[in-house]
Amino acid sequence: MIITNIETVPGKTIVEHFGLVSGSTIRAKHIGRDIMASLKNLVGGELKGYTQLLQESRNQAIDRMIEHARQMGANAIVNVRFSTSSVAQGAAELYAYGTAVRVQ
Amino acid sequence: MKYTPRQPKSNVNVTPTSHIREFFVLAGGLLGLIVVIYLMLGLAVDLIVPHISIDLENKMGVHFFQSMDGKDADSQREYYVQSLMDDLQERCAKLPYRFKIHVRKASTVNAMALPGGHVIVFTGLLDKVSSENELAFVLAHEMGHYAHRDHLRAGGRAVVLMTFSALLFGVDSSVSKVLGHTLNITELSFSRKQETQADEFALETINCAYGHVGGATDFFEKIPKEQDPGKFGHYFASHPETRSRISHLNNIIRSRGFNPAKRKPLPKAIWTFIP
Amino acid sequence: MYDLLIFLTLIAVGYSVGTLTEKRHYRSIHKREKAFLYLPAVTIKAVDYPEEKVRSAELVYGSVVISIDYFKKILAGLRNIFGGTVKSYESLIDRARREALLRMKEMAGDATVIVNVRIETSTIARKANKEGVGCLEAIAYGTALTLEK
Repeated sequence: MIITNIETVPGKTIVEHFGLVSGSTIRAKHIGRDIMASLKNLVGGELKGYTQLLQESRNQAIDRMIEHARQMGANAIVNVRFSTSSVAQGAAELYAYGTAVRVQ
Repeated sequence: MKYTPRQPKSNVNVTPTSHIREFFVLAGGLLGLIVVIYLMLGLAVDLIVPHISIDLENKMGVHFFQSMDGKDADSQREYYVQSLMDDLQERCAKLPYRFKIHVRKASTVNAMALPGGHVIVFTGLLDKVSSENELAFVLAHEMGHYAHRDHLRAGGRAVVLMTFSALLFGVDSSVSKVLGHTLNITELSFSRKQETQADEFALETINCAYGHVGGATDFFEKIPKEQDPGKFGHYFASHPETRSRISHLNNIIRSRGFNPAKRKPLPKAIWTFIP
Repeated sequence: MYDLLIFLTLIAVGYSVGTLTEKRHYRSIHKREKAFLYLPAVTIKAVDYPEEKVRSAELVYGSVVISIDYFKKILAGLRNIFGGTVKSYESLIDRARREALLRMKEMAGDATVIVNVRIETSTIARKANKEGVGCLEAIAYGTALTLEK
């Protein structure tokens, strides 16, 4: 699966498109991490636990988007965008969406 | 570029799962976590309580006492119980407290030891006792709680645990609320061991005060006869089963050679409630 | 004890009514998605249609605010303690975004294609109540192109 965030896949031609595909996820860290993060907040610096949380969430969102595109019969996703929401406190909500296409 | 309308076979963005099952698994886990924290706090409280100074306790005691509503009733009997308590303390149980008896009108057969030496005695209990020795044993029992500082242990854990959850989840959070409910149910009482220790303390005290231990078990003997344990309130709910408690006391009386003798009657003039 | 009873009742009501509402919403979403299958929404700008055939191009948008039920909110609170995927909120987010997309398509009517679609969420409701109402506002917008037949 080719994923880009530009209009096209350079070097290939889009022959067919299937509309919007998306993948979303919402994940939380356990309370211990939250406490450690609030402590770290006193001195600043990278919150490794949260970096990891966002990384995992983003990967899962992309995986789900790919699965969605695969079910549509696409072999590439172009013009991918990320979006977030904040409905639950202390949880990372990631959303990835793009256009499922077939390229040659 | 042509458009091919297609729909995915499954919803990739929603995990197919049973929420009910997840709920019970997580709630069970949380309960386990609370139990572990509770036990650990119990250990922590045991470490901290001996270091709380009497002075600090007296200051906290005022707040605890003010949170109990109700007015002192029956000043005659209150005066009598107070002098009995003072006498016990002066002669036999030298505790660094200034005990203050508060007689409250309620049918529960109960007495409570609040921080700062405030002892609440309900009229239900006063109506039940039939000799001075019996009353002295109950008072000495409460003094036993003070001697071992059980009253702080019981309250201390509740306070520490609530503070803990308020810090973690916020005071108004649903977790704190749920925790608050469970706390109210479990934190009202002393443990069996604490009760047994207070009983032993009480036995020593009244043996010292009267030279014998007559009437020590009278109070407990009454419970089966009443056939209404509910009326006795939580004073007994948490206490070791009455039977085993009586036999434990009798064992000590026998092994220490205490002398069970005649009871001293209560002053008739002010004890008009006795049937 | 009395409060605990209220709490359990709220959970039970939240679960039963919430599940029912969600089922009904999904049924409606599926039905309308099928009906609008003819109208593609894509994130790209160039869909290589002959420019002279475009009769009209206009901004279309759809938005929705969906709230979570009490049971799922409690479930999410529990999940927050142990960490992991907050499964109870997944369907809320999914429903909100699909509903917003559908409303956008409904606004486009008989257009041929909606290009440069963007989906965003916002949280006005959080400000009103510090504890968080547990609702999600999704907005989808794009440009609807109508081609001459």
